[in-house]
Amino acid sequence: MEFIWKIGGEAGMGIMASGLTMCKAFTRGGLSAVGYPEYPSLVRGGENTFQIRVGEDVHAPLKKNHLVVCLNRPTVDFHREQVYENGAIIYDSSATKIEPGEFGADKALLDVPLLRLATDNGGDVIMRNTVALGASIAFMGYDISLLEQVLAETFARKGQQVVDQNVKIARAGHDYMLHNYKAQMESFKFKIRKKSDSRKMVISGNEAIALGAAAGGLKLFSAYPMTPSSSIMHYIAQKELDFDIIMKQTEDEIAAVQYAIGANFAGVRAATATSGGGFSLMAESLGLSALSETPVTIFLAQRPGPSTCLPTWTEQADLKFALNASQGEFLRIVLAPGDMHECFHYAARALNLADKYQLPVILLSDKYLSETFFSCAKFDMGVKIERGKMITKDMKPLPLNARYKRYLITKDGISPRPIPGVIGGEHVSGSYEHFENGYSAETFSVRAAMVDKRMRKINSILKEDFEMPKLYGAEDAELTLICWGSHKGIALEAAKILNSEGMKVNVLHFVFLFPLDAKNLKKLFRKLNRTVMVENNRTSQLAGVLKEYAGFRPDFKLLKYDGRQFFPEEIASEVKKLKEKNWKGKKEIHVIDNLPYDYLQAGKVER
Amino acid sequence: MSSIQELTTKEKPQWCPGCGNFGLHMALKGALSELGIPKEKTVLVSGVGCSGKASHYINTYGFESLHGRSVTVASGVKLANHGLTVIAEGGDGDGYGIGSAHFLHSFRRNIDLTYIVHDNSIYGLTTGQASPTSQHGMKTKSTPHGNLEMQFNPLAVAIAAGGTFVARVFAGDMAHMKEVFKQALQHKGFALVDVLQPCVTFNKLNTFAWWQQRVYKLESAGHDPKNKAAAMEKAFEEMSSNYSKIPTGVFYKEERPTYVDESPQLASGPLIGHAVKSAEIEKAFEEFM
Ligand SMILES: Cc1ncc(C[n+]2csc(CCOP(=O)(O)OP(=O)(O)O)c2C)c(N)n1
Ligand SMILES: [Mg+2]
Repeated sequence: MEFIWKIGGEAGMGIMASGLTMCKAFTRGGLSAVGYPEYPSLVRGGENTFQIRVGEDVHAPLKKNHLVVCLNRPTVDFHREQVYENGAIIYDSSATKIEPGEFGADKALLDVPLLRLATDNGGDVIMRNTVALGASIAFMGYDISLLEQVLAETFARKGQQVVDQNVKIARAGHDYMLHNYKAQMESFKFKIRKKSDSRKMVISGNEAIALGAAAGGLKLFSAYPMTPSSSIMHYIAQKELDFDIIMKQTEDEIAAVQYAIGANFAGVRAATATSGGGFSLMAESLGLSALSETPVTIFLAQRPGPSTCLPTWTEQADLKFALNASQGEFLRIVLAPGDMHECFHYAARALNLADKYQLPVILLSDKYLSETFFSCAKFDMGVKIERGKMITKDMKPLPLNARYKRYLITKDGISPRPIPGVIGGEHVSGSYEHFENGYSAETFSVRAAMVDKRMRKINSILKEDFEMPKLYGAEDAELTLICWGSHKGIALEAAKILNSEGMKVNVLHFVFLFPLDAKNLKKLFRKLNRTVMVENNRTSQLAGVLKEYAGFRPDFKLLKYDGRQFFPEEIASEVKKLKEKNWKGKKEIHVIDNLPYDYLQAGKVER
Repeated sequence: MSSIQELTTKEKPQWCPGCGNFGLHMALKGALSELGIPKEKTVLVSGVGCSGKASHYINTYGFESLHGRSVTVASGVKLANHGLTVIAEGGDGDGYGIGSAHFLHSFRRNIDLTYIVHDNSIYGLTTGQASPTSQHGMKTKSTPHGNLEMQFNPLAVAIAAGGTFVARVFAGDMAHMKEVFKQALQHKGFALVDVLQPCVTFNKLNTFAWWQQRVYKLESAGHDPKNKAAAMEKAFEEMSSNYSKIPTGVFYKEERPTYVDESPQLASGPLIGHAVKSAEIEKAFEEFM
């Protein structure tokens, strides 16, 4: 049982809110949903869509749809080839013209007076979406009461009257469908039914990261808006009083990361979030964190680059940037969660690691993971906060006879770190190379010893905290899809397709991207059969990193860099083609979507 | 309370003999000592430049940040623990050049910091290029044919940007410096003290004697620091008098709630002591259902 529903219109029509409501209605029926928004970088106009794939256990969107709600003409054009055979289209002929047969004779064209039903029932134009939700639910055979529940809770704050009106309008769409399209409903074979009553969350990657950070003891969050990281800021800002967190919007990203470094120096857990452009501005401070050994956590939500590029689309092309940003050689930890639980868990973990190793930690997501909604079980609050070797006022007093050695050379490279307020801990931290007591050093041996001390932390990281990439599926698979971060669910779904067609495919997913345990990785790679690297970038950055650190070369590379993430069926289809060619085809395959439309212009590309 | 001696580290200052930084730091330590501010509860954040080493010579907590970024780290420290006395220091290039965005926004934000700018009208540490406060026409290593840009007016900008404590002192007058530092440290809000000082090595124009002949004290001229219009006028006097009269002292002072005062989260005490709101966070999970 699986159903893919999509709604499209222009920015400002409330596409996102409608999609989210629908996601919740599905999730409450014991189903699993992925809510995937697409939108260009503008505030009004353009083509905005929200797609929901719903089933028993789904982890990524697919390209095609069973039922598409077209609120404007571009949605028709953009989706002419994107509806499954015998699928259906809901539209309102008073606003959108569709020629019979435009989608093919097999499709049901359902003209529903969305605008009229909204206004006749006392709503305004924007509520045509609610009519469409009701009509959609009727057509797919789902339970309208679940939608009513969600509407009631969403609008509860606005009073019973608003709730009643929304419910009435959703009902109007639902009933219109039942009365006018009975025959079409009966011959429409795709259905989705409620499974059970369920209480699961519907959450995006950024919200999961924000919650994970809060649960991990985040107390100060400083940031500058940049898509697709901004919703972390928005969520924390909205919750700052409840969670007792200071959310500080700064004048730029330099200040954002600097405030976080200052707060961490003073002993308060602090983090920032940004995308590539802002991370570029933070680069110098990344080194400041490393040299001064002041913890800092950066949530880096990637979008296509270089420069401003495609602000609202996705790419995984900042891995090497995250690994190498800032001058000099220093250690940092780079993590890339792959699903909502991992976003939550690793956001908290990042704060722990930053404190424990006194260095910068970067958590990589991307537009796809950060802004896509998934149903998932409630998070487990069991987050243990570990501050490492931080010294606070309530601990054993420090001796007062000598200048405190903030950068004491230790076996594990980590030195105890008193925070301001601790008597006897007075010292200077900073950007200059130093002696153990923090004073500037231009002695070669001291310089080298300090480089070694900072680098030495890698041993404990690998021994105590590193996590090997996880292998999902049969150990003896004939082929392994290798991916990182956001592409976990996508690769798992691709493997599922391939396995259902008789292949034996598993998935190797990396969260811990740096540092890497070369020895154990080499062992693991030797056990794999044929390997296909799946990366949302042009140069297969993880393959480069694995070659450098573990001498590994994948057999094939599947790459996509057109602004969208992979769709599972694209991976499956390319793997099948490779197999058909008896694995003798090209080693590097670029997957590009040839849809001839432009989301910004919301029209056909004619250039 | 810490004595000047206790506030002095054993590190040998690397400033040129005769540099204004010596007097400046003596005055600052004097101010801290007289105000009885404990050294372990003081954080001095410096930028990069000759002033950058300031955090090494004072026996408080110190943080040597990046060039232009002392106010930013200092702001993070203060928001994290507003029980601390937080001082930011930097040069004129540091604060008015590379860090100018932070400088500008600090005034409207009004976080309770004392910001001391070592204003020697030159880039000292990098051996003598023009700075934002170098005079028009001034010859430096980077402007050998004369500086084509107008001098930056930090005081006027500070007042216009919403500054609540705007002062200028001359590094040649220790007693006055200490007095103004004390007022700045006691001011609730962001306090700017621009310190006019020669660079004995690279600034051949604005020497000790040059300043000495021109500076006068606003206190003795009957200036009312609550009068914003008068403060603005005084801020322009240096230029309008064609450098014949340079006022020093507190130009402008205003009581306005600080950023911390207006943050409801901080009403119960410094952020550092706050617990994780686990129950609230768990409750928030429900809102996603
Ligand atoms: C990002 C960056 N750019 C340039 C420098 C080099 N630099 C160090 S100090 C300085 C200028 C110092 O001038 P000022 O701030 O006036 O301080 P002074 O030395 O005069 O006290 C420069 C350009 C640097 N450290 N970092
Ligand atoms: Mg200077």
